[in-house]
Amino acid sequence: MSRYRISGKGRVDHAAPVSFTFDGKTYRGLRGDTVASALLANGVHLMGRSFKYHRPRGAVTAGSEEPNALIGTSRGPGRFEPNTRATVQELRAGLVTESQNKWPSLSFDLGAVNDRAYMLFSAGFYYKTFMWPKSFWDKVYEPVIRGAAGLGRSPTEPDPDHYASRYLHTDVLIVGAGPAGIAAALAAAQSGADVTLVDENPEMGGSLLSDPGVAIDGRPAWDWIDAQLGRLRAAGVRLMTRTTAIGYYHQNMVGLCQRLTDHLDSPPKGAPRERMWRVRASQVVLAQGALEKPLVFDGNDRPGVMLAGAAQTYLHKYGVRVGDAPAVVTSHDSAWYAAFDLADSGAKVAAIIDTRATVRPDLLDAARQRGIEVLAGHTVTTTTGRLRVKSLRAAAVRGGTVSGGRTIPCDCLLMCGGWTPSLHLFSHTKGSLAWDADGGTFLPDRKTEAVEIAGAGRGLWGYDPVLADGAAAGLRALQGLGRAGHPAAFRVANDRPGTGTSHTELPTDGNPGKARAFVDFQNDVTAKDIRLAVREGMRSIEHVKRYTTNGMATDQGKMSNINGLMIAADALGKQPPQVGLTTFRPPYTPTSFGAFCGYLRGETFQLTRKTPIDPWAEANGAVFEPVAQWRRAWYFPKAGEDMHTAVLRECKATRASLGIFDASTLGKIEVAGPDAVEFMNRMYTNPWTKLQPGRCRYGLLLGEDGFIRDDGVIGRLSPDLFHVTTTTGGAARVLTMMEDYLQTEWPDLDVWLTSTTEQWATVALNGPNVLAMLKPLVQDVDWDDFPHMSCAECTVAGLPARLFRLSFTGEIGFEVNVPARHGLTLWETLMEAGKPFDICPYGTETMHVLRAEKGYIIVGQDTDGTVTPQDAGLDWAIGKAKKDFVGKRSLSRPDIVAKGRKQLVGLLTEDGSLLQEGAQIVLDPDQPKPMRMVGHVTSSYPSTMGHPIAMAVIEGGFDRMGETVFIPMPDGVRRARITSTVFYDPDNARLKA
Amino acid sequence: MLLIHCPYCDDTLPELEFAYAGEAHIARPADPSALTDEEWRDFLFIRTNARGPHYERWRHIGCGRLFNALRDTVSDRFLTTYKAGEARRPLTNEAAE
Amino acid sequence: MTYEKHQFHSAPVLIEDLAPVLRLSLRVKPAHRDTLARVLGLDLPVRVGARSAAAGTEALCLGPDEWLLTAPEGTDLTTPARAVHADAPHSLVDISDREITLRLTGPAVLDLLSACCPRNVAAMPVGAAARTVFDSATVILWRDGIDSFRMDVWRSFAPHVRSLLAQVQGEIAAGL
Repeated sequence: MSRYRISGKGRVDHAAPVSFTFDGKTYRGLRGDTVASALLANGVHLMGRSFKYHRPRGAVTAGSEEPNALIGTSRGPGRFEPNTRATVQELRAGLVTESQNKWPSLSFDLGAVNDRAYMLFSAGFYYKTFMWPKSFWDKVYEPVIRGAAGLGRSPTEPDPDHYASRYLHTDVLIVGAGPAGIAAALAAAQSGADVTLVDENPEMGGSLLSDPGVAIDGRPAWDWIDAQLGRLRAAGVRLMTRTTAIGYYHQNMVGLCQRLTDHLDSPPKGAPRERMWRVRASQVVLAQGALEKPLVFDGNDRPGVMLAGAAQTYLHKYGVRVGDAPAVVTSHDSAWYAAFDLADSGAKVAAIIDTRATVRPDLLDAARQRGIEVLAGHTVTTTTGRLRVKSLRAAAVRGGTVSGGRTIPCDCLLMCGGWTPSLHLFSHTKGSLAWDADGGTFLPDRKTEAVEIAGAGRGLWGYDPVLADGAAAGLRALQGLGRAGHPAAFRVANDRPGTGTSHTELPTDGNPGKARAFVDFQNDVTAKDIRLAVREGMRSIEHVKRYTTNGMATDQGKMSNINGLMIAADALGKQPPQVGLTTFRPPYTPTSFGAFCGYLRGETFQLTRKTPIDPWAEANGAVFEPVAQWRRAWYFPKAGEDMHTAVLRECKATRASLGIFDASTLGKIEVAGPDAVEFMNRMYTNPWTKLQPGRCRYGLLLGEDGFIRDDGVIGRLSPDLFHVTTTTGGAARVLTMMEDYLQTEWPDLDVWLTSTTEQWATVALNGPNVLAMLKPLVQDVDWDDFPHMSCAECTVAGLPARLFRLSFTGEIGFEVNVPARHGLTLWETLMEAGKPFDICPYGTETMHVLRAEKGYIIVGQDTDGTVTPQDAGLDWAIGKAKKDFVGKRSLSRPDIVAKGRKQLVGLLTEDGSLLQEGAQIVLDPDQPKPMRMVGHVTSSYPSTMGHPIAMAVIEGGFDRMGETVFIPMPDGVRRARITSTVFYDPDNARLKA
Repeated sequence: MLLIHCPYCDDTLPELEFAYAGEAHIARPADPSALTDEEWRDFLFIRTNARGPHYERWRHIGCGRLFNALRDTVSDRFLTTYKAGEARRPLTNEAAE
Repeated sequence: MTYEKHQFHSAPVLIEDLAPVLRLSLRVKPAHRDTLARVLGLDLPVRVGARSAAAGTEALCLGPDEWLLTAPEGTDLTTPARAVHADAPHSLVDISDREITLRLTGPAVLDLLSACCPRNVAAMPVGAAARTVFDSATVILWRDGIDSFRMDVWRSFAPHVRSLLAQVQGEIAAGL
């Protein structure tokens, strides 16, 4: 057992040693230790190097606010994490840890040369020191600075862990399970309210775990905690440890990150590492306590200098004495108790230095009884010690004058500059803060949510008032639910009340220009930097923050914000509330990306829709592409084929004989009701009244602005029933748009819309042999009256079907719709029946090529939301005689009828090369840059005609038929001739066969 | 994530069940052809873009209904919601707060 | 001491596919609701989320003019409805194949659902149903018992939903 571990003391399990390594050396800790407490038990204070100056640093806290002791942790292969707080990471068997930001070793770090050159790295050094020559910035200064600075190294492997999410609805959420939180939970758990109590630590109890001498209701603190947690459990209160409330959002939604397995030697199979909870609470109680402030003095960052409260926690929770000869410097009563507890555990307290001239007599008595020297009205002006503090220099302060310094040897220095209520979550709600001049701190003021703040979190001190306040807050929360409860009272013995004062920098007789008095430990911001920022013109605290980076470290200013503000206010000659506090933002503590991602990774990274025929495509080697939310078969390569070869084969097979295509993703909407035709007339540009049942028509849908929104073939199955198809990506949007008009503009119409996209599996058959293949399979269709653009409800391959004769390829085509459960059966039956015709399955790429050869547009590819029917050459689809339809009025707006609009045309390259979709088009390739771009390529494919084809939108394109335009590309300028968009069978001869 | 009261379901439900649907109380003109280009432009494009209480429409995925809401765009709080077709709810001092 | 509300022993959740049923979307305005209810032989409840049942057919009110009818396959609801179409215009669309139905049961079923369902599922009364979202999929959730739900999900969304459910099932089985 190390000499710093006190046998039998603390909440660690002295019978359960746990081995771990730090920088390759094996250490022994105990079950219940953090990495920091275990290292301290081994006498190791040096845990890292600072960000900028590479100064040696040790743990300054014992909690999640730690700015210094950031380490790399490895929990096994692929499980490396940088910047883990050693004060939070619990020991587990085989844990491998390393220090950061040092080379070659932690104790001898060449980067520490930065510390000698600190004058170069003062506030704003980025903007000042490395100005000249300009060209050096990118190539020399920045890489060197970036190489020397930094926090840890990034993991290189994909995170193998699993992360979970959960929604939770609860009546009362209490954040923080210290005395105030527990008291609040006891009060709120009356009357059957659903209560959730969360704490970021492995154990509940908060500060009471570090104050075992306190007694409540006649019980020692730790017994009291156990008893109350038992009561809460019995009352059905949800108790969650290792659970950090990371953010507080609108209407009492609080995000919780629960760490589930990092502390386990061997996590159960399938267990998530962390779980993100999205909690909706009717009432929230914030009982997060207060954070201890460091004091700002030269050398306040040496390993061994830490917060007094942290030393007290290491002593009582972990049984670790942080030193044999601690000295204490404080401006608050609380640190006196830490000194007493350390003295009582065998440490020889070198001195208690209190900045206040007058100290409570009972504290002086207690110090005298323990033989501790007290220096009231004193300051600390500096410390010594390279890798561990060795001594401090204390001096008397009288009337603002520092005199009579003397050196006091010590092996650690415990500091306390008072306590700052933890207002981060409250600030997330935009709750306002009020300055408390007595306490030198901000307190919660006006609330915007149904929230109570209890205990030290609102500036109270001492267990008696904190417990009473917690109980009252819990009761108010309960009453906020409209429920009643009884008030509770607690009897506290051995309480530890306290007050204090606050400071900017501690007074010194040294040269303030040379003082290395740190405010933000992690970002290496000193008091001098903040004063410099003010001198150089920063007036707003937000500017001071960004110029100096004070508070921008991973602890988000938990240690530094208030001290920084006090110093900035002093430098500005203003009161702190006039300077204001910077904004706290979520997350409260650093949170893993995994916890935010939750299930949104791997195969559930995003929703992927699959058609009923997808399994066949997968089994038959399809290459897939994402289309909207769907994955669609892109092409079906045969052995040795690349995409180009496969697609041309599929195209030719379809044109020559027969192709089969899964069109199930097409949107389908059933428009039914006596007013169906009236509704269709109002929505679509086309006239529908004269469309006979059993026939279909290409429909074009505009927005009210006149631009093309969607298109598709629409069949009229009976006088009051239309089967509308939409584009794959437009299905949901079109239905929503139609519902919008129906509900809000035309609620009088008797017509209803039902999405049937997924009711039907759709198989498209195209090619000159389609009739020969299909006819024998079809019943109930009169083939003598089933021309191109017909539809029928019938039977196909023995399945109930809706059959459409239409073409998106230029060949004779059909779309067979059957109930989705039969989709795969239909496909397989058709594949079998198509064998004599060498039926060829094709994917979306071939579909695109075939449609482009015919000049059929794809909405969203050849149109972009600024294309009118006229622009796209779809004038013919407009029902000119109709008085109104959605978008009609816009088609006569001045901008829409103006000359020079971009119009959809065909393009053929002179050299037969393939253009890139999205490539810009110019009229004069020799004009100076930036050139005037007159349009862009929208579609471009190799084709079955031996040369590539393209479509493009070009200003005044219809009037430029036959003209040559230019497409500048990195490897040279392409020349292309403007043509019609119809490249294949312009007379539709093949459709009439 | 907000909580939104659906006036059709008479239930207060998470925002994830809802979709924003633009400014409210902009009726489509009965006869668009009777409008001047300027009037039609205003109908198409000109919106209040209010800082503070804003009349807007939301759609509830649950019941499929569009409804009206008065939401404060500064605090992001819903002041009230009401059914489509109902008259614009007055902007009381209470609501504006 | 991590999450103590529920203690699991064996098979905390069970995820099963249910056989297809006849599923129809009925849309009718309030004025003609009673006529349809009469010819279909069951109540058409007016509160969104409420259910009724008669002779094997169930009706769920999904919206002010929208009901989901479910019945054993082969039940003919179309013929009686069509008979009154002229007097009580409505839309009755077969969507039996649009969705598949999962049954989710077991003592941890609320945890399973609350992994991806933002609505307060625990507060749903037994016998109610709701169209809501599960992750990014729209689903209809039926609460048939304290620990028993059905989930209707559009066919193409089912692989995604099943994969999520399986992940959560695994984490529940791990006991954390």
